[in-house]
Formats: sequence, C-alpha cells, structure tokens
Amino acid sequence: MSTRSRTTRRGFLKASAFALAGLGIAPRALAAPKLNLKKPIKIGCQTILSGPLGGYGEFMRKGALLAMEEINAQGGIGGSPIEVNFRDEELKVDVGVKNARYFVDDWGADFLIGIDSSAVALAVGEIMPSLNRILIVTHGATEKYNEDLVYKKKIRQCFRISVPVYQDGIASAMVAKDFPVKKWATISPDYEYGKTSWKMFRSTLKALKPDVEFVGESFAKFGTVDFSSHISKVMAAGPEAIFSTEWGGEAVTMIKQAKLFKVFDQTKAFMSPMGAAMDVLQGLGPDYPDGAWASGRYYFLYPESAENRRFVEAFRKKWNSYPSYVSETSYAALYAIKKAVEKAKTLDIDHVIEALEGLEVSRPAGPCVIRKEDHQAVYTVPWGRIRHDPKYPMPILGDLRVIPADQYYRKPPFPPVEA
Amino acid sequence: MLLFQGLVGLTEAMYLWLVAAGLSLIFGVMRVLNFAHGSLYMLGAYFSYAVLRAAGGNFWIALLVGPLLVAAVGWLLEFGFLRRVYRIDEAFQLLLTFSFVLIFDDLVKLVFGPVYQSPPTPKELSGAVFVAGSILPAYHLFILGVGAAVGVGLWLLLERTRFGLIVRATAADREMARALGVRSSRLFTWVFIFGAWLAGLGGALSIPVRAISPGMGELIIIEAFVVVVLGGLGSLRGAFLGAVVIGLLHAYGLLYLPVFELALAYVVMAAVLIVRPRGFFGVREA
Amino acid sequence: MNRTALVLSLAGIAVLLVPALFGSFAQYLVLNILLLALFALSFNLLFGTTGLLSFGQAAFYAGGAYVAGLLLRARVPILPAVIIGALAAALMAAVVGAFCVRHTRVYFSMLTLAFGMFVYAIVWKWSDVTGGDDGLIGIPRGRLGLAGPLDPNLGPLSRYYVFAAVLVFASVAILYRLSTSPFGLTLRSIRENAERAEFSGIRVRRTIFIAFVVAGLFAGLAGALLAPLEQTVSPSAAHWTKSAEPVMATLIGGPFAFTGPIVGAVVYLGLKELIVRFTEYWLLVFGLVLLTTVLAFRGGLVGALETLARKAR
Repeated sequence: MSTRSRTTRRGFLKASAFALAGLGIAPRALAAPKLNLKKPIKIGCQTILSGPLGGYGEFMRKGALLAMEEINAQGGIGGSPIEVNFRDEELKVDVGVKNARYFVDDWGADFLIGIDSSAVALAVGEIMPSLNRILIVTHGATEKYNEDLVYKKKIRQCFRISVPVYQDGIASAMVAKDFPVKKWATISPDYEYGKTSWKMFRSTLKALKPDVEFVGESFAKFGTVDFSSHISKVMAAGPEAIFSTEWGGEAVTMIKQAKLFKVFDQTKAFMSPMGAAMDVLQGLGPDYPDGAWASGRYYFLYPESAENRRFVEAFRKKWNSYPSYVSETSYAALYAIKKAVEKAKTLDIDHVIEALEGLEVSRPAGPCVIRKEDHQAVYTVPWGRIRHDPKYPMPILGDLRVIPADQYYRKPPFPPVEA
Repeated sequence: MLLFQGLVGLTEAMYLWLVAAGLSLIFGVMRVLNFAHGSLYMLGAYFSYAVLRAAGGNFWIALLVGPLLVAAVGWLLEFGFLRRVYRIDEAFQLLLTFSFVLIFDDLVKLVFGPVYQSPPTPKELSGAVFVAGSILPAYHLFILGVGAAVGVGLWLLLERTRFGLIVRATAADREMARALGVRSSRLFTWVFIFGAWLAGLGGALSIPVRAISPGMGELIIIEAFVVVVLGGLGSLRGAFLGAVVIGLLHAYGLLYLPVFELALAYVVMAAVLIVRPRGFFGVREA
Repeated sequence: MNRTALVLSLAGIAVLLVPALFGSFAQYLVLNILLLALFALSFNLLFGTTGLLSFGQAAFYAGGAYVAGLLLRARVPILPAVIIGALAAALMAAVVGAFCVRHTRVYFSMLTLAFGMFVYAIVWKWSDVTGGDDGLIGIPRGRLGLAGPLDPNLGPLSRYYVFAAVLVFASVAILYRLSTSPFGLTLRSIRENAERAEFSGIRVRRTIFIAFVVAGLFAGLAGALLAPLEQTVSPSAAHWTKSAEPVMATLIGGPFAFTGPIVGAVVYLGLKELIVRFTEYWLLVFGLVLLTTVLAFRGGLVGALETLARKAR
C-alpha cells in the first residue's frame, strides 16, 4: 500500500503556514478564543528524514501537518495561525543540537517538538534552559529524559508526549507473566535503549514470576542486516520465548530471518515492543507470524473511540495511509500546545509550563495526563497478538491486553533500574 | 553447534563476497575505489523489487532482470562520469563516487519513498533443512550455492577466457598491456559494468530476507572495503578468503567475544595489515 | 605580507566582527565552520603535502573532545581542559601513527579507517566512562582558567566564540608557518618522489610520523573546542562519516593551496545549512554540488580561482 501521496510531496519543500483545511470534518466543536498572541506561532519539529529509518520522519511529519491543518482551520491557537517547520535529525547528536538552535535562534520557534533518537533527546534537552523554549519529545523513549533531566535536574522546559521505555520493558513483563514460558532470550539492538529495556523486562518479570530464567542474549549493532549469527547463537541456548526491541527496518529484517530459521515454530512466544509500528506491520505484511506479541507508542485501533476513529479517517483521507504511532504523538503534541496556551492565555513560557503540568490531553490514543513531577504524558497503549485480517492491507493486533498506564509507569523517586 | 555457527558465518560471508568481488575487480583493473558500490547494491535491491512487483511476484525474473538494470546504471556512471576523472588524483575519484552515493540515496527515496520495503519471501525458498544439529533456512543454502557459483564462474572467466586474460594483464601491468594493444578505455567500461552487475546481484538476492531502504548501501560498503583490503588489493582470491574470514569471525566472535562485534572487521583488518602489509594475497603497491 | 597571509588576516577580522553584528545562531554556525576548517587544515597537513589520505582523523577529533569533555565535567577550567584534550589526541596519533606510517596510499587509508572505527567502538561500548551511545551530556562551560584576577566566565556564547576563534587563528598561523617551513617543504618532496627524498637524506617515515602527530594534535584541538560549545559529545564524533568531513572540505576547497580546506569548510557547512532550509532532499543537492565540483574544478575551488586569476592577468 502506498504510504506517500504524490501531491503532498511538493508540499514538503517547506512546511507552509496556511495550509487551508478542506477536510470538511470539524474536529472540535469549539472555536479558538481570540488571545492576541503573536502571528504566526512557530513550532520547530525535528525527526529522522533520511537514511534507513527515514520512514519514521515521514510518518511524524504527516501527523504534525494534519494537526496543523486542523488547528488552523479552527482559527489557530488563540486566534493565531501556527506554522510548523521540519528538519532532519539524521540520528546525530550534533545535528539535533544544531537544528534546535536554528529553530530557536534563527527561525524564531516558540515551541520545539519531535526527536526520534534518545541520545538526541537527551542532548537537546540539556540545552533547553539556555534556549528557554518548551520541548515536547514525541518519540525518543529513554527514561533518562524524564527521570534525570526533568525530575532530578529540574529542567522544566522538557516534556514528553509519547510513552517511554516503560512500555517496552515493564508492561511487556506484566503481559508475559501469564505465558506458559520459563526460558526467555533476547535479540536486541546494541545500545542504551536495547540494554535498558531488556534489564527492565528481566527485573519486572523475575519479580512477578520467580521461576523464570533468562538463557541467552545477543545484541546486534546498528546497521545489522544479517541477524543469522545472532539467531543461531540465541536459539542454541534453547529459549521458549524471545523478547526483541529491534525496531524499524531492522525489526523487519530480523523477524523475516527469524521466521526462516523457524524460530516461531520452535518457541512459544515472541514479544516485540515496537513491532506494532505501522511501518513494521506494512513492511512484514503476510510474513509477520500470527500470534507474535507486539506493541508501540499508539495503536490505531485502540481505543475504540469516536475521536480515534475520526483521527484515523482524517489521516487516511489526507495521506492515503494508516497512521503510525509517531503520527499520533506529533498530532497530540500540537494539540497539547494549543490547549496549554489557550488555558494560560499567554505564550509566556512559565505560564505555559504551568498549564502543561497536570494537563489532561484529549488525543486519539485515549485519555492522557501530563504528570507534573516529570512532565511525562501518561496514557495506555495495549499489547496484542498479530493476526491477518482481510479488512486491512496490513496485519493488525488482536487479543489486546490493556494494562492501565499507572500500573506500569515508574514513579518518583525513580530508584535505579536493577537487572 | 559450533559447526552450525560456522555454516551460518559462511552464508554471511557469501553476501559480503558478492559485493566485494565486484569492488575488487574494479579496483584491480581500474585502480578506482568505488564508494558507490554499496549504492549499486542498493539499486539492485530496489530494481529487483520493482521488477518483482511488475512480474506478479516471480522472484526468478526479478533476479534476472534487476542486476541487468544495475549493470546499465553502471555503464552510465562509467561512461558519463567516471572516465573523465581517470587522470586526476585518486582522492577526487573517491569524492566523485561518494557524490553518487548521496545522489542515489535521495533518488530512491524520491521514487520509492522513505519507508523500508520488503517483499514476502518466495515460497520455494522459505523452507528449512536440518543440518549439523540445527535448522538452517533453505535460502541460506541457496546463497551458499550462488556465492560458490560466482566464485567458480569468476575463476573460470579470469583463467580460461580471453577477456579474463586481458583483465589480468591490465591489472598486473597497465602500461605493458596498453603497449600490447589492449584498449583500456573499453576494458574499463566492461569491467565496471560487470562489477556493477555483481553488486546488483547481491542486492537482488537480499530482498527476500532483508528490508530495503535508502541508505542501505552505506551499511555494507565499509565492510566490503575491509574485505577487499584484507584480501589484498587486486586479488579476487583474497577477497573471497577475506569474506570467509570476516564471516566466520563474526559468527564465532558472537559466541565468545560479543563485546567486539562493532569493531571486529576493523581489528582483523588492522591486525592482518600490520603483519602482512599487503593483505593476504596483495601483489602490488596501492 | 603575502597574499595568503593577507586573506587570512582579513578573514580573521571578519570572523571577530560576527558577534557584534549577528545573533547567536550565526555565531554558532561560524564557530562550527572554524572548527571544521581547523580539522580540515590538520588533515591537509598530511594529504596536501604527502598525498596520504587519512580516513581516521575523527579518532583524534573524538579523543580531544571526550578527554576535554570529561575534564570539564570534573570542573577543570576550559583552557587547561582543551589543551590537555589536544595533547591526548596527539598521544593517540603517536600510537596510531607508529602502526600506520609504514604503509602507503590505500592501505594507509584503510588502516587509519580501521583505527578510527576502533576508537568509535570503544567509545560506544565503554559506557561507564564515555556514556556510551548517549554520550557525554551536560558538559559545563565555565571559567577560562587564567591565573590571576581576570578569569572570565565563558558561559555566554559570544565570549566563548571569541576564545575559540582566537585559538583557531593561532592554530592556523602555526599550521601556515609549518607548511611554508623547511618541514613543509620536506613533506612535499615526499609526495614528489619518496624514493628520491630518502636518497637525499630525508628520513621519510620519521617525517611522516611527525606530520601525523601534528595533524592529530590539531584535530584533537578542534574536537576539544567542540565539547564546551555543544556541551555534549557523542560517539558519532569518532565515526568514519565524521572523518569524511575534513576530506570533503579539503577536496572541495582544493588540497594544493593552504587556504583550500578553509574555503572548503565554509562551502561544505554553509551550503548544507542553506540547502536544508529549502528541501529535505539535501543529500541529492549536495551530491550534485560535489559532482560538479569534481568534474568542473580540478584542484578544488581555490585551484579554480587561482587558474582564473592567472588567466585574467
């Protein structure tokens, strides 16, 4: 299925401010109050737009552009239209920092959103006090962002609208405790995030199910295209289930290869915390083994609410594609900004921060609150099992397990993560 | 288990070999370090994927046509651009081929979109066999076969044909070959086309088992360089051996020294070069 | 004063005027260009003279950056931290150089690449010290470290800008003197004909080794100056794609003139920043620019300018 629309490609040359709606579907009944704020309100968004993970940026941008269109059609934020500008993060810290500086110092951004890489999120987060703008991270999942930067170092400008690694390491274990499985192994990416999520999974599961054993692990460097040696190494340890935080194109490659090695026939369960990303679902298609457990940072069929359905429909109509989770998080980020500014009735950063703390954001992913202590959005994302449904062009999740977010989110004072 | 891991390592080596073979050939004859070789591999994947979809899912047609399209691109690159820079500094040639990498990365993104693609694995090759105590995918055996066939084929080509003779002569001593009447410009074109075809073949063979995405060339080009240098510049035998060594070391390294995975290929190459400054079978000054 | 020195002096004055005339992003960009220019000049000390293309200079750049970053986090003032960072890089270059200078051309390049990526791997995996792939974050930018009562705080960007710019100018001056000195002449003679140079009494390998260490020193200085600027150092500073930057800058500007790498750095970073504002397809545009440069401007931009100037006379 096509994930890009020819007509919008031209529009990508520079995200323009006044994309007029034409959707005909009014997302919100209320019109924006007139607040006499600066025009336009500028929001800088950086995401991965090039290279093997470039698909993420594409989805994130589409979500943001949809929100921008809708918000402007309702009169903008407090009567001021919004303008969103995009830059390529390139998964590089120095580029990420440069983009943030460009947005604020040169382009005049009032807010920053985006960021896929955890390392970039941390580096940009650190300079937010000197830039003095609010940053709402929409993907980068490291727990160090909310636990260290916001809670411990008190960097108030940092926020995150997407679920952090708790979804991958803790919620997963809560679902896995009921599996008839004692021996787990992992094939995960070789970096902080891969290691931390496996650590969280192990410690959570061990506490919930003491007789569980972790028999094997293999961490693959970034850019691995051949997982064969990893697969054979791990399978030699005789695991009953595999946990894997591989994401993006590498998840597609790894799962395909694992399938050829008959991993799914030899094991009883497979868990992939980011396996329900739209790009992975589409990438694997019919090759995605039925029954594999997957999750993400938002799943388009959960919750079954009018708001979620409307969002998915609007996204499909505009982009001829189903939304990935980064589409929803960037969409939600813009609406969160709108709600906070209109509540604070000003763009003054201290007031907007106050408005954001404790804010109840209404978003396609369901009810969501931004915690005051660590500026982390708390909302629930389900885990589910892959199944192929002829109604959809890609595999979907069935057998959803919904664990309320406040049951698995870590809470202050955030003790160190034990293995 | 050890034997099986070695077998797995060998298959990895075959992919590397397919890419390194063309690279080695091009360097041996033309003295050009073709940085764009990884991009040719990427084009092989994309073109084959497009042909696969057009041919209603027939993998064999895609395997046949895809690399030929890449060969055509290779001709374009050599004839249109590369031949203008033979006389200037090698570093500029490197820069030229690097510019191709950037251009192709964005071109495929423009045409195919930035999201990774992946066709379903063909049914005929989805099976598995029980060997050395474990399950090995049939596709891996297929790749082993193709790699070996390419190795044998190249050996026959170089040792038993007139074209091969000319290639070896030019690689050994360009001046002499020219003095004996070899038209190096035409030879260069053919060698580059052939090298591109090999890279395209590597890319085509990867599509059932690896995700296709812009920038995938960069993921394998450096390792291919390492293999070529390890084996000794200008030696196809060396490239084959180099690929096998890297593949096996990677597979076994994961078992015993996983912490070295990131740097393994580089450490091995550095170690070999320090002991044998020209690589395994390198015969000449670079 | 010859032409090169004049051009450099004028450029230096222009650079120092930037904080007075432009905002912080412009300062940030110019500073990045200065650091890349230094990095490229250090690379070209070896390449422009001996023809040896090192693909691993980022190892020393990163070495300088990480050492300086660690010292700064330990509350060491900026000046000593930066200098020690540069010296640490020089030490690394001495070790690596001992292995590499025995090899020539392609093997030399690949060996330097290998060492560069080896450093990258160490930085990535040794997370207890280097922070792993998250990198060193929260590097403070505090006092300069001058003895005596006047020890400025370099927190404000414009102040750090002046400091870094002055240090870069000093380095450029040193490198310029080196390149026009008998040492530079010796290096160039090695490119002409290494055998003949050896016969005329020059110890080729020792000369190359010294050049390699000096190149590493200034690459390390560039990296060390980066640490307080970005206040973050990440493993990508050691990756081969980082090593490729001074190579590209030098080739674009032209390796045969001293100012070539500087011009190249300006074009490389300036052009990229410009392109990125208009299109997401910056790789394509940049690739086309590189392509045209190679095909049209043999000897880089400075070489082309000099040819034009010669023809105009």
